[in-house]
Amino acid sequence: MRSSLIARLGVALLLAAVPLLQSNAYWVHIFSLALIGVILAFSQQLLVGMAGIVSLGQGAFYGIGAYTAASLAISFHVPFVLAIVAGGLLAGLSSLLLIPIVRLKGSSLAVATLGFAIIVHLVMLNEDWLTGGSIGMIDIPAPTLFGFSLGGEKALYYICLITAAAVFLAFDRIAHSRFGRALTAISQDEEAARASGINIAVYKSKCFLVAAIASGIAGGLYAFHSRYLNPNDFDFQKSIDILIMVVIGGIRSLPGAALGAAIVVLIPELLRASGEFRLLLFGVMVIVFAGAGSKGLSGILVDLVKYIAQHGQRWLLQKPWTARL
Amino acid sequence: MTIDQLVQTTLGGLAIGCIYSLIALGISMIIRATDILHFAQGEMLMIGSMAGLSSFWLQGMPFWLVLLAGVLGGGLVSMLVEVVVYRTLRLRRVSAINIMIATLGVSIVLQNVARLVWGSEPLRYPTLFASGGVKFAGFTVSPQLIWIVLLSGLIMGVLILFFRFTRLGIAMQAAAQDPDVAQLMGISVDRTTTYTFAISGMMAGAAGVLLGSLFFASFNMGFLTGIKAFVAATLGGLGSIAGAMIGGLIFGLIETFSGTLISTAYKDAVGMVVLIAILLFMPTGLLTRGGREV
Repeated sequence: MRSSLIARLGVALLLAAVPLLQSNAYWVHIFSLALIGVILAFSQQLLVGMAGIVSLGQGAFYGIGAYTAASLAISFHVPFVLAIVAGGLLAGLSSLLLIPIVRLKGSSLAVATLGFAIIVHLVMLNEDWLTGGSIGMIDIPAPTLFGFSLGGEKALYYICLITAAAVFLAFDRIAHSRFGRALTAISQDEEAARASGINIAVYKSKCFLVAAIASGIAGGLYAFHSRYLNPNDFDFQKSIDILIMVVIGGIRSLPGAALGAAIVVLIPELLRASGEFRLLLFGVMVIVFAGAGSKGLSGILVDLVKYIAQHGQRWLLQKPWTARL
Repeated sequence: MTIDQLVQTTLGGLAIGCIYSLIALGISMIIRATDILHFAQGEMLMIGSMAGLSSFWLQGMPFWLVLLAGVLGGGLVSMLVEVVVYRTLRLRRVSAINIMIATLGVSIVLQNVARLVWGSEPLRYPTLFASGGVKFAGFTVSPQLIWIVLLSGLIMGVLILFFRFTRLGIAMQAAAQDPDVAQLMGISVDRTTTYTFAISGMMAGAAGVLLGSLFFASFNMGFLTGIKAFVAATLGGLGSIAGAMIGGLIFGLIETFSGTLISTAYKDAVGMVVLIAILLFMPTGLLTRGGREV
């Protein structure tokens, strides 16, 4: 337990130091985007990793959160923290629309959530009075807190980092709560879970609700991060990207989801030098990582560390003369 | 809406529906045989469309050879992807959701390869059919749409005959129903799976040539069409062959009619609403296949 606490603090410190190590404004901007991706991946991890629900609709909640926060900030000058919270809440509220379809299973549920994402994207694209239509929303004010402007790339990075850390802690608690255990039970065997007195529909709906709130908060952050919203940032492709993050990172763990999000956001940026081949290489990587096994990249890394720990120890414990042989 | 408009819209809906049916059939066949949700099926349509167009550029071939080139292109790429990627993953016992993500990776790769080869601009398809209206039961209709409906119907008919009357077709059905028992009966399940991918790729390739001849060919024409075909297959019942055909036709008709009656901007949304409504009352789609759960 203590070692995991130390590891968490270490990772937090490392992430906090990132803008100091790489102070180029463009890269800090991209790192913030990666942290927003991490929050989205957490929300998908709750659905797919814990409850076994494949959702292809998280991009819709992300968009709802972003547009809500942006409209409140533009039209009513709502402070940014409140606007982001409101984005999360409205996204959560809209997830209640999914209640009728939660009783579907497997691929039918996935395709139904995809349908939901397509509908929400079309609304964003076509309802000019609400979302600015295909032009999108411009002039989103910079976030301010107690009169101080937080519009700089570094300040935004820390806002994203704090939010991502908070979502991580909250979801980590959920994983170890009664609710989390019930979700795991549902993912393993729905009938057995039902027989143990778990109300499947209620738990699945709650799971969608929590995941949608997290995605909505990520959307709110994105609105203040990019300060311009385009409906095509929230199409079904986004939902698919979010699922890719979790699966290549490792379905069963939150750190795995975070790793996957970092890969999906950062690798295309790192590959920018390869020009036309950028997305081609990215596609090949998705195939390779998906084929790496069900534990994902994080699982492979953990195995590697264990292997090195075991064999390194043996190597260190060997007497010098046997090692020489 | 006048009678004439009704006939035109229905024909347009049937034509686009037939194209969805051809792709949805492939998706359903692959799910039956391997339990893979094949998100790259739309890319086979794109490859077929591009292959057909290239053969036209090379030789100025007649229409049926362009169609053949599309069929071969789609079939070959689909088979290649199965042998190189999916079979490797299955041998590694990778879980179903990882294979699904790999299909998305395959889709990204194929799109970008196509962009490198054929460029990112939409390419004009040659007029493959005689333009100008044809009199049909008193209505002037586009011959192109009639050809698409007839050819798709022919392809699907051949597929049904193939499944019912040939040794290979029956072996493929057996392997899809119960791979272990089929293996015991001396059917090579690896081979039937490869053929399943080949045939579904061929149908998607044919759909690509037909769709290209209606609009344009471009590197990103496949993905959204594939997603819609996926919805159509779910509508009809994932894994059911008849369901895929009916689902595709219904989805095409809904899309075209809501495009003319309600609004073009929301024509995709109407299809999705119908999908969700049908799933609410029939959680497994209109027609279900027996046996394993998908």
